[in-house]
Amino acid sequence: MSRTDAVESSESTSEMNVVTAVKETLGQEMRRDEQVRLLGYDVGPIGGVYRATEGLYEEFGPERVIDAPLSENGILGTAVGMAMRGERVVVEIQFMGFFYPAFGQFMYTLVKTFERSGGGLEVPLTIRLPYGGGIKASEYHSESTETYLAHTPGVRVVCPSTPAETKGVLAASIRDPDPVVVMEPKNQYRGAREPVPEAEYTLSLDEARLVREGSDVTVLTWGAMVPEAEIAAEEVDADVEIVDLRTLSPLDVEAVLDSVKKTGRCVILHEARRTLGLGAELSALVNEYALDRLRAPVKRATGYDVHMPGHEIEEFYLPDAERAGHAIEAVMNYEF
Amino acid sequence: MSQWTEQRPAEDFHRILAPDGSLDGEPPDLSAEDLCHLYRSLVLTRAFEDKTLRLQRRGELSIAARSRGEEAVALGSAAALSADDWCFPSYRQTAALAVWDAPLDRAMATLMGLEPETVDEHLPVESPPEVNFTPTYVPLAVNVTNAVGSAMADRFSDRETVTLSYIGEGSTSQGDFHEALNFAGVYDAPAVTVVQNNQWAISVPAHQQTAAETFAVKGAAHGVPHERVDGNDVLAVYEATKEAVERARAGNGPGLIECVTYRMVEHNTADEPSVYRDESEREYWAERDPLDRFEAYLREAGHLDDGAIEEIETEATERVDDAVRRAREVPASAPERMFDHHLHTESWTERHQRSELRAELDGRNPFTDFTGEGLDGEDTASKEGRVGGDEDGSDSTATDGGTTQADEGTAREEGVATWDGGERR
Repeated sequence: MSRTDAVESSESTSEMNVVTAVKETLGQEMRRDEQVRLLGYDVGPIGGVYRATEGLYEEFGPERVIDAPLSENGILGTAVGMAMRGERVVVEIQFMGFFYPAFGQFMYTLVKTFERSGGGLEVPLTIRLPYGGGIKASEYHSESTETYLAHTPGVRVVCPSTPAETKGVLAASIRDPDPVVVMEPKNQYRGAREPVPEAEYTLSLDEARLVREGSDVTVLTWGAMVPEAEIAAEEVDADVEIVDLRTLSPLDVEAVLDSVKKTGRCVILHEARRTLGLGAELSALVNEYALDRLRAPVKRATGYDVHMPGHEIEEFYLPDAERAGHAIEAVMNYEF
Repeated sequence: MSQWTEQRPAEDFHRILAPDGSLDGEPPDLSAEDLCHLYRSLVLTRAFEDKTLRLQRRGELSIAARSRGEEAVALGSAAALSADDWCFPSYRQTAALAVWDAPLDRAMATLMGLEPETVDEHLPVESPPEVNFTPTYVPLAVNVTNAVGSAMADRFSDRETVTLSYIGEGSTSQGDFHEALNFAGVYDAPAVTVVQNNQWAISVPAHQQTAAETFAVKGAAHGVPHERVDGNDVLAVYEATKEAVERARAGNGPGLIECVTYRMVEHNTADEPSVYRDESEREYWAERDPLDRFEAYLREAGHLDDGAIEEIETEATERVDDAVRRAREVPASAPERMFDHHLHTESWTERHQRSELRAELDGRNPFTDFTGEGLDGEDTASKEGRVGGDEDGSDSTATDGGTTQADEGTAREEGVATWDGGERR
């Protein structure tokens, strides 16, 4: 498990939020490697609906920052074809809830080409996928449906949680020879700023990040829930360890098991619906490999098994520090 | 009897060879050698596919899908490509592989269901075809979208390479077909798409796929120039494709070609056409067979005689038999090979599941790990295999194209060849 932020080792930093970190990283990677191309809807002159590609069209032109027709499956299908020919394509899908039309290409070609070509054809493609609620968006704009992706082999699914994490994880994803889905917590896009190294760097796509060390209970979480877990950790009467999974597929199982074996308690915090959410897999792993170390049952603080509600009541759907705190308190108070 | 299941009147298309082999137009500029190579490839294709049927009946192949009577479509169109071009075939285009001399043993081994790594290991590509072939696509229409992406890569990189892909008339009802053509049109991609209209998509006839007058006109909605040709006339198919390919190569964008043919045989060996169609249709189409027609033309032109034909047929049979022999000699894949080539690095999950399978194969209980530390201390492999290069800016790639487990050297040296010998450039 990675224990430190990239920030500490660097001399020169700038204040960035997540969306600035995305923009800086894309520009850096495009300057470093001329085969990096962006393909997506509105990524051109307007700079993306979140302005994550702002200025790149002007710098690199329409053949490297490619505005696509409004067709997610067409975008992913042509991007896979470009990647099969050695281009490093970064696809932007505007919202996770818009990804479903592309599911055909995802299942049939993106995740299968490397395997069914016996390793002969690589698909070095990155999908940037803004996800999650809390921005008062309309329906289909706030979803966390990573389970559909993480259930499928042949693709990495990662989710950075801070500006510095975003830069290192996105750069590593673009350089990785396998397809990577980078889930970007869009409610953090313009959230907290932090100093981010200006130089290029990559972070591991295989390792979780230890956000906070503790001895009583482990909180397993990722993305936009990490700051909620941090608030909860301050408010509860327990020494909380927070593991930011960073990679949802494949999972850093060692990091999960090491932490839970140490604390003996486990709370899983995620935005997605509970049933068959990634928390189900994490809970299963803990039960299979660390049951005799548990001092309480595993609890999952998650969204409910409903469609993402409209923004009038979405705050009651979304887990937060309070829900996480209740879960922590419950497992702390439990006795076998 | 419905001989033409499209809305369009019969035989209203580009044709050079009449069904009896006589000239109905100006033939393309092909040498006697080129023409005989086309003929030889057609004979080879038919011999290969007929062999797959026999092997399927014997249980050596789980399924076989033939292109009998449709061979001229893939043959004439693929022949219009040049070295370094790309081809994204579906499963009824054996003739495209044959005309570019793709290794038949690898194709046969793949049809026998062997893992691609096993095929690579035991039947390595000696001389790859000059045209790059992707593995044959099984899901429908998605190859066309990938092919357009391949063409976009060429255009954006200022390469003069063209990408050809194939789709059946039924699959033009899929969104991917339209999305692909739309992108091809918007970006002027050097992508040529061939619709192999054999008039039956399993049990559904062409007129139930579309109310459009033809399949070719579907290109119009996407601003893609289109043409409709006699798909049983290899010269017409070649000429139309050549024109589209060279237009694309010159930077003038994509093309769509509908080749009208007929599915003379079952959809595949799991199908029984007599249940849903009047088999007397076949008599009409048998008179339009692409092999008979082309052979008559070549005899008339003085390029072929009985002796040459016999030689070509004997050679085809020998090549197919040799391919079958070589494919049969490939040893069975290790079951653990199923884990190969999902990602470039090995995850905890993969490592554990590999060892579970290994335990099962060894007659041991795979469920005895209650700590996550692995079965019997076996789980010591490859933390070094992790990628990501922490915070040092290094490239996060494993370059051996294989998994990181240290067993039996499964990673191939060549690394980039596809099953039919196409090579990534």
